[in-house]
Amino acid sequence: MFDNVPLLLHGFEIALSWHHVALMIGGVLLGILVGVLPGLGAPNGVTLLLPLTFSMDPVSAIILLTSMYWGALFGGSTTSILFNIPGEPSSVATTFDGHPMAKNGQATEALTYAFMSAGFGAMVGVIVITLLSSAVADFALKFSSPEFFAVYLLAFASFVGLGGGNPFKTIVSLTLGLAFATVGQDTISGSLRLTFGFDELLRGISFLVAVIGLFGLGELVLTMEEGLRFNAVASRISPRKVFQTIAKMPRYWFALLRGSLIGVWMGVTPGGPTAASFMSYGVARRFSRRSANFGKGEPEGVVAPETADHAAGSSAMLPMLALGIPGSATAAVMLGGLMIWGLTPGPTLFVERPDFVWGLIASMYLGNVVAVVLVLATVPLFAAILRIPFAVVAPLIVSVCFIGVWTVASAEFDLWLVLAFGVIGYLFKKLEYPIAPLVLAMVLGDKAEDAFRQSMLMSGGSLGVFFSNPLVGTLTAIALILLAWPIVAMILGRRRAGVAAVAAAHAERSPS
Amino acid sequence: MSAEDRTIVSRFTMEVATALGAAAIGALVIYGANEHSIGWGDAGPEPGYVPFWLGLIIVVASLAVLVQTLVQRVGAGDSFMTREQGKRIAAFAIPVALFVPVSLFLGLYVATAIYLLATTTLQGKFPLVKAIPIAIGAPVFMFVLFERWFQTPLLKGPLENALGLY
Repeated sequence: MFDNVPLLLHGFEIALSWHHVALMIGGVLLGILVGVLPGLGAPNGVTLLLPLTFSMDPVSAIILLTSMYWGALFGGSTTSILFNIPGEPSSVATTFDGHPMAKNGQATEALTYAFMSAGFGAMVGVIVITLLSSAVADFALKFSSPEFFAVYLLAFASFVGLGGGNPFKTIVSLTLGLAFATVGQDTISGSLRLTFGFDELLRGISFLVAVIGLFGLGELVLTMEEGLRFNAVASRISPRKVFQTIAKMPRYWFALLRGSLIGVWMGVTPGGPTAASFMSYGVARRFSRRSANFGKGEPEGVVAPETADHAAGSSAMLPMLALGIPGSATAAVMLGGLMIWGLTPGPTLFVERPDFVWGLIASMYLGNVVAVVLVLATVPLFAAILRIPFAVVAPLIVSVCFIGVWTVASAEFDLWLVLAFGVIGYLFKKLEYPIAPLVLAMVLGDKAEDAFRQSMLMSGGSLGVFFSNPLVGTLTAIALILLAWPIVAMILGRRRAGVAAVAAAHAERSPS
Repeated sequence: MSAEDRTIVSRFTMEVATALGAAAIGALVIYGANEHSIGWGDAGPEPGYVPFWLGLIIVVASLAVLVQTLVQRVGAGDSFMTREQGKRIAAFAIPVALFVPVSLFLGLYVATAIYLLATTTLQGKFPLVKAIPIAIGAPVFMFVLFERWFQTPLLKGPLENALGLY
């Protein structure tokens, strides 16, 4: 486990160059901007920036994109606290206690609690990555096609089994993504699939265009529909209060640790930051000694979701690096970026490009420190940006989205396609179809299908290959259990509901 | 309840429509997959196999959502969109949709300028003194950013040709 230390030190040598630190600062600032603006979230922001990195060297490119991700995660909390408007879905839970604190005149305290616990959570996530990633990668180096397919299946299945919500809607979203991924030239046979004679579809459907439509335009429509009004509370930061609040942080050590654990778990499995922050908030409210104060401006109610949010955001990079499976929608976009830069995500990356892997991990330590400092320093600036009327900001975001789509492949057809994805994004968001599985499926679809068909080539067409050794058998079995889980839960739930109904009826008849 | 708060589309209607739409896409995928062999050859699945089954799962899962919606009357009394919301969405989405054909004719820079000018003056109620600098400044900034710094040419139209900007 500690063999990684020299590698990490070498990573710091790479990450600490002037060029890379400048990229980090630039990325974090852009990220905060993206996080602060509603309708422009982390997945969409990273997607818009990605085409501009095609000509950069991969280490610089990933440092820029991940720094933007950290910035976006932090920026989302700023608007949650000051304006009661979550800049990111994952900072919704921060509004519950963060905004009441700000309204009580404790804006500085709320922001400091949020950023410091976010920084703590992120650090725990990065430490977990440092200690575990090469072990996971070593293990995964033994994988061949059937194991990889089983891991992909597991990733897809965990959305269905663990995602919550309506499992059928998750399946619709997931399989639509997989189907979109099959459009275009088939990598194995070379035949043209699902193109319906349109030349524009030969290249396939770019997941970048999909993300800009789903997360960018779709979210903007939702924001406009609600008739956005910013009701800011005073946003002056007093440095003395910042330090006083930092001194109070150790009081919340248990919430910090618990939030980090929940976050790391949800980040490594594809639960993602949003689910992690809600879960951490819920657990904290239930078990806190001051649970009555939750929702009225309780600091622990800020610490808990923020820690989990960032722990999940950073640890989502672990499966992406070591297995080639992203733990969040943003990580999925970055994974797509890796492939475009000519890298093969997955365990071989640790052998072939240790400079890339460890440079990235070292930059995650530095990037989060940079982000905490910058986000505290720039609160007044970004609060001022939000005073610009949304009637100007929204059209600017729309223009940026269209330009982003054009930079993906310079294709006129993509401009129409992004409109279609915008409609899908709006409908899905409103009707509670999860969007992250669709994006993940679009990124991983081709790889999953290749792994499946190569496994079939190996076994001569027998599905038994997915149970041919204990490792692949276990992975496949867990995946199948997760797929079946909603049905099992439904049956159990119905029985439990039945028992409860009988008990209730009984209680009614015999009042005590 | 004022006229503006009245529901124009119920959640139930949209649940049904979206489930049917997803099923239609699934059917289209099945149809497309059938242009290839969907069977199981000597070398495992043929090219059409995976899309065919994916299409089938899409159809089955969206029909399951449909049945659930119909049986449990999901969102029958809930609003999907009120009159007020519908107006806001139309005001935002129609210019966005027009952006695409305009940019295909006039290029992205000119389309951005027109779009920004129209939205800031008509919807943002900005005076022209403020709106014109925004509408011209943003595309000029983008031009410098993309064409000069990032060396990424964006879609251009007749105006750029006339000015000889490449």
